[in-house]
Amino acid sequence: MLQDCLNYIQGNGSDIALRIADHMKISLIALFAAILIGVAGGYAASVSRRGEKWIMNLFQILRVIPSLAILVLLIPVMGVGMKPAVTALSILAIPPILTNTCVGFMEVPPFMLESAKGIGMTEWELLLHVRFPLALPLILAGIRSALVEVIASATLAAKIGAGGLGEIIFTGLGLNRTDLLLIGSILVGMLSLGSLGIFSLIRRILMPYKYRRAV
Amino acid sequence: MGSMWRKMTATALAFAVAGTFSVTAAAGEKGTIRVGSKDFTENEIVAELYALALEDAGYKVERIMDISSSVIHTAIINDEIDLYPEYTGTGLISILKMDPLTDAQEVYETVKEVYAKQFDLVWLAYAQANDGQGLFISRKASDEYGITTISQLQENASKLRFASQGEFDEREDGLPGLEKVYGPFEWASSKVYDNGLKYQVVESDEADVSPAYTTEGRLSETDKFILLEDDRHVWPPYNLAPVVRGDVYKENPEIGEILKKVNETLDTAAITALNAKVDVDKEEYEDVAEEYWESISE
Repeated sequence: MLQDCLNYIQGNGSDIALRIADHMKISLIALFAAILIGVAGGYAASVSRRGEKWIMNLFQILRVIPSLAILVLLIPVMGVGMKPAVTALSILAIPPILTNTCVGFMEVPPFMLESAKGIGMTEWELLLHVRFPLALPLILAGIRSALVEVIASATLAAKIGAGGLGEIIFTGLGLNRTDLLLIGSILVGMLSLGSLGIFSLIRRILMPYKYRRAV
Repeated sequence: MGSMWRKMTATALAFAVAGTFSVTAAAGEKGTIRVGSKDFTENEIVAELYALALEDAGYKVERIMDISSSVIHTAIINDEIDLYPEYTGTGLISILKMDPLTDAQEVYETVKEVYAKQFDLVWLAYAQANDGQGLFISRKASDEYGITTISQLQENASKLRFASQGEFDEREDGLPGLEKVYGPFEWASSKVYDNGLKYQVVESDEADVSPAYTTEGRLSETDKFILLEDDRHVWPPYNLAPVVRGDVYKENPEIGEILKKVNETLDTAAITALNAKVDVDKEEYEDVAEEYWESISE
C-alpha cells in the first residue's frame, strides 16, 4: 500500500503539485471573499437590531443547502469551473465569520466606549482603535473555523472541473484505489494543518498583546 | 433480519414454483420464468422486452428487476432468477477475470464455453447492440476538424479540451489503454467533472471531448454529440445477450428462438434510442419496452 502511494507520488509529482496549488487557490479566494462579506455584514448586523436578524437568517439559510447542491445549482448561472466553486465555498465560510464578528462587536463593554468618547475620540477612531481591536479575537476565531471548513470542502470543486485535490480523491473512489484515496485525503489534512499553523502566526502578529504575557 | 426472511421466502417460493413448473411442463403447459435485470435503465428495458416476449409465447413471467450489477451473477447461480441480460465483455472481464479480447464473436464463444462448463449457464444468441466504453465529441468540434474516429481525435488532441471523470485517465481500459495503441493524447486542457455533468459540459462548450458508454441516451442527440469510432479496436465488445440457467434452458429450449426475436432487432442505435426515451424524455421503462415490443412483434 505504502509502495503504491510512493509510486503514484513519484510518477505524478507535477500533477499533484498543480492540484495542491489549485486547491489552495480556490480555498483562499473563497476565504477572502467570505472575510470581506462576513466582517462587513457582521459589523452591519451589530449596529442595527433589524439588520442583524435579516443578515444572519439569510446566510444561515444559505448555509443549510449542502455545498454539493449549491455547486450544481450554480451551473446554469455561472457555468462550471472556478467561479461556482468559489461562490459555493464562500457561502459555506461566511456564517462563522459573520456570527463571530457580530458577537465580537456587540460584546465590547459599554464602559470602554464611554471612556473612549470621554477622551474625545471620533466615531471613526472609536471603531478603529477600540471596537475593532476588541472584536478581533472573536473575528479571527470565526475565520479560523471557516478556513478549516473551506479547505476540506474544496475537495468538491473537482466535481465541476475546478481542479484541486478532489480530483485525486474522486479518481480513487471511481477506481476503488485506496492509495489514491489516502494520498488525496492526507494531503487535504496536511493543507488544513499547515494553514492553521500559518494562521496562528498571523494571529500572533495581529494581536501581540495577547501573547506578551507569556514571554 | 427482515430481508433475510424475505429472501428465504423468495427462495422457498422459487422452489415451489420450480416444482409446479416441472409438473405442469410435463402436462404440456408452460411454467413461470423468473426474469432478472441489473440496476440501470438499459438492462431494465431489455429485461422487460425479454419478459414481454416470453409472456407472448405463453409463459408466466416473474420480474425481479433492479438487482445490483455486482450481485446478479450470484443471484442466477443461487437459483433466484432464471435469466437476465448480460454483456459479453462483462462476462469475460468482470466475471471470468480473463484478459480482454476485441473480436465480438471470439468474446461470445469464449464466455459461452466457459460459462457452460463452470456455472451451467447458457449464453443465448447475442444482439448487435454494443454498450462499451467510448468517447464522444461535440458536433461543432467534429465538423471543424473533421473528426469521426479516435485516430483523427489523437491527431487533433492538442486543439481539444478534454472533460474526464478522473478515473478514465487512470483506468487500464481508459486513456492509458488508448495511448498504447493510438499514441499520446496531448489535450489542450484536461479537467475532471462529475460523470453526470459530461453532456452538460460539452453542450455548454466548456469542453470538446468526454468519455461515455456507447448506448447512453443523450448520444441519440446527434446534432450535438458525435460518438467516435474506435477504428483500431482497443475496447472489448459489450454485446447484450440473455444468460439462462442450464436446467431451465434444457426444459424450454424454445426460449432461445423467442428471445432471438427481440435480440436481432437490437443494435446500438436502437438501444440508444430506447435509453433516451427513459433517461432524456423521462418515460417509464415498462412503457418504453411495451411500445417497442408491439412495434417489433407485429
